[in-house]
Amino acid sequence: MIEELRKYIGVQSDWETACDRVEAGAVRRFAQAIMDEDPAFGPQGEDRFGGPVAPPLYPMMMFRRPLGAPDPLRIHAGDPEFDGIGQGSSVTRGLPEIAPLAGWAILNGGTEVELFRYARHGETIRMRSRYADITEKDTSKGPIVLVVTETEIATPDGEVLLRARRTLIRRKPR
Amino acid sequence: MTLPHGQLVFEDVEAGQEVDALVKGPLGTMHLMRWSAAMENWHRIHYDRTFAQEHDKLPDILINGSLKQQFILQCLKDWAGRAGWVWKVGFQFRAMNLVDETLTVWARVKATRDVGPYGLVELELGIRNGAGTESTPGTATVALPHRGGAPVPYPFRAPA
Repeated sequence: MIEELRKYIGVQSDWETACDRVEAGAVRRFAQAIMDEDPAFGPQGEDRFGGPVAPPLYPMMMFRRPLGAPDPLRIHAGDPEFDGIGQGSSVTRGLPEIAPLAGWAILNGGTEVELFRYARHGETIRMRSRYADITEKDTSKGPIVLVVTETEIATPDGEVLLRARRTLIRRKPR
Repeated sequence: MTLPHGQLVFEDVEAGQEVDALVKGPLGTMHLMRWSAAMENWHRIHYDRTFAQEHDKLPDILINGSLKQQFILQCLKDWAGRAGWVWKVGFQFRAMNLVDETLTVWARVKATRDVGPYGLVELELGIRNGAGTESTPGTATVALPHRGGAPVPYPFRAPA
């Protein structure tokens, strides 16, 4: 299978612009959910950061389903096998599903991030990802596939906010 | 521009020094549901116990890796202070953390390097649960200002 999988290495998505700008309310809910109520994330902001900003990794999580796009929860409502994530996770968004791994479980294996600045409230953010590496590995629980993606998150004029390299662990259902 | 009161500076850091730990939890289903809703991620293993156990054969609902990584960033960000900057961070999700666990983010200075306008601090880090099991080992590089110097440039500019 590895030859079939490795065809995906280097496949890159188009730039995708997040459907919403960095919204104060979404930032507040995010900050409350991570239990980091840093005043820099609120309306008073912080001069050093040029006003209110979002938590450091917020831009990685702000690519959501726009109105009118297919709703996976509606599509899979009667499917007890549906894991709730399917295509379109923030990690693989914009990249084609790796066909031989369709139906395999997805676990988050780890992340490396390089940060340059925070996203400011009101900013438009876009991202682009590529499959950087795909390897098979035998474990005591059976074979797994490690899928490494690289994502760049930037403003429309090209200022890079952060780069992320993430590993997804794909495991065949038992 | 002067440094904020209480700002950690490069000269105050040495190898072996511990970063103030950040404790989160116990993290129950409400915390995980709030996180799933905030990021609009509906992966069932984080809130649907029947699916997690019967379909994915997991021992229980999992605490999201995507949530744990926020805790690591918070710990480092708060340590670096307003005039510092968390430049790089990497971590692996080596072990599962289950619902209702309390997580402690720790970090320790491994090395320091003066790069001129600021200093770089290399750290090892991780997340331990109440039983002391490490789940998320990693590393980070944090930039700190010099005593009497200027804040680390923002937006951050990597050293040449």
